[in-house]
Amino acid sequence: MSGLRPGEIVLEQASRSFDLMRERRRTLKELVVRRGAPGRARVPALDCVDLRVKPGEAVGLIGRNGAGKTSTLRCLAGIVPLDSGRAECGGRVVSLLELAAGFGADFTGRENIYLSGALHGFGKEEMEERIERIVEFSELSEFIDAPVRGYSSGMNLRLGFSIVAHLDAHVMLIDEILAVGDESFQRKCLAHISERMEAGATLVLVSHDPAAIERVCRRVVVLERGRVAFDGDVAEGLLFYHRMLGTETGASESVRPSSARGDLEITALELRDSEGRRRHSFRTGERLTAAIFLDCRVPAERAVAALEVRDVRGERCFRTDTSLGAVEGRVELSFEVPRLALLGGEYDVAVGVHEHDAPVGSLLDRVARFSVPHTLEGEGTADLRGTWTVAGRAQEPVPR
Amino acid sequence: MRRYRFLFEQMVRRELRQKYKGSALGILWYFVNPLVLMGAYALVFSVLLKVAGGIEDYPLFLLVGLIVWVFFSQALLSAAPSIVQHAALVRKVRFPRETIPASIATVQLVTFLVMLGVVTPVALVVRSSLDPALALLPLIVVLLFAMVLGLSLVVSVLHVHYRDVEPVLGAALLPWFFITPIFLRVEDMPGVREHPWVGDLLQWANPVAPFIEAVRDVLFLGVAPSGATLLYLLGAGGGALLAGLFLFRRMERDLAVIV
Repeated sequence: MSGLRPGEIVLEQASRSFDLMRERRRTLKELVVRRGAPGRARVPALDCVDLRVKPGEAVGLIGRNGAGKTSTLRCLAGIVPLDSGRAECGGRVVSLLELAAGFGADFTGRENIYLSGALHGFGKEEMEERIERIVEFSELSEFIDAPVRGYSSGMNLRLGFSIVAHLDAHVMLIDEILAVGDESFQRKCLAHISERMEAGATLVLVSHDPAAIERVCRRVVVLERGRVAFDGDVAEGLLFYHRMLGTETGASESVRPSSARGDLEITALELRDSEGRRRHSFRTGERLTAAIFLDCRVPAERAVAALEVRDVRGERCFRTDTSLGAVEGRVELSFEVPRLALLGGEYDVAVGVHEHDAPVGSLLDRVARFSVPHTLEGEGTADLRGTWTVAGRAQEPVPR
Repeated sequence: MRRYRFLFEQMVRRELRQKYKGSALGILWYFVNPLVLMGAYALVFSVLLKVAGGIEDYPLFLLVGLIVWVFFSQALLSAAPSIVQHAALVRKVRFPRETIPASIATVQLVTFLVMLGVVTPVALVVRSSLDPALALLPLIVVLLFAMVLGLSLVVSVLHVHYRDVEPVLGAALLPWFFITPIFLRVEDMPGVREHPWVGDLLQWANPVAPFIEAVRDVLFLGVAPSGATLLYLLGAGGGALLAGLFLFRRMERDLAVIV
């Protein structure tokens, strides 16, 4: 098209609205009877959206239901035309807008591979060249000649993704998909996507699942009512999104039963980044500071503070205590982690303050949750990323 | 467009196999239906109603007209709901939407050609109608297909916008069948002898009639169709195809949204 580099995506003042009444069907009666009826409510799905994506970039699209994510994808794929503005992708565009998009249930996996390829404009020879790789990647070789009708949703997903992955797309448009499938297949997909991106391919990923976005994308676009509400770094974008939803997990909550509220109470716990901003998402290696606000109604002689980090299953990753000595009134204390040595996942920071002779047990009374984006270099909780060596030569780390 | 040739092939194959997949006769059902239809009509018109006064080899006369009609009506009837039936594809992938009705019409063409392949030698032997005019048959078939394809495009895209198209078409095809010169020649139809203009109307206002006449001329009578008829076929085939493409392009814009 008009001089876009392969993998480049441009949306310029792109607008598209839908007529909810007309959405489904019109009948001849309507044509005759209601001809010229006043325009019914049109709902904007895209409202003057500007977006430019460079080759090799991975962009996550997030937003509430109906914010225009899928519409954006469908406009980019050329499936739905714009009302005004411009939407173009450079090079070959491949879209995976739903699990098993258009699979014929009565046909075998193999037949559906050919059809999917054909739908994207591939010829017979081109598909024959690829089919073995697709089957192998999908790990479905035993079932590939069985009708898709019998496939589980996971198998459909694997087939769908494997096909799309092997069509040498310059632009991949993927809707809500990486959340399904088992962990090992997900990792395989991510590795494949990174490979394609290194070759200059561009990815636009729509998901409700922030974790999925964090694993793949560096850049995130938050859509709200068809407009771009945020466009930038993924960690900040997710924070923005959570604020927008009103579920900012950077805020802490009390876990102490109200009957047990004592003289020594933590009124707030905030997680901050190196610039002092409240955040709920931190990258591995980033500085994290837990600020603790204490209300000490009755002076305490020898107070002790404790901080614990737990993973989602509640397993303790780390614990530390400190003696505060005598405290009185409102006190602010903080614990700084200069380099967060945790890998991708959700974590809780729990803090508690108590007199040194308090009964052991319900010592922690305030919890804040934060998340760490996944990386491809390792999984688990502890950041022990290092270097593999083969026979004396240093290996590059697995490409991110 | 050339890029999507393989898609077209795949859709035709899929269509051929999808409908009767899992049934014992499979693809043969495509031929069983028209054959049963023809058997029934031959029985009704030639034996029971005895309308066929004076037409020699009446079953064959009927058969030649019927295969053309069956092709025409089956193609339109199955093309009309085709885009809606493929909604899952239309909503999710970008590809030339014409492929869908075109593949449906092509499947019916294949059936038609097979029937024609059976009927032609029988007609040539029974009627000893082998004549150089037979060379016109491929041209007639191509023009017939052009018309059917054009109309398939029209009804399929219209049906997405107005869902009454398929039932209306289904209802219209029945009376249409009876005013088409399938079981009678136009000149034998009631009222034609007294009012020649009725004959002209039946002959020229119905685009299927000249095609049936033309096929019957070359197969059944062993003569070349008149120049006027050939010109009409050319106009009907070319005109319907162009009009179909034009209308389809104009109405396909929002298919993914309203399908």
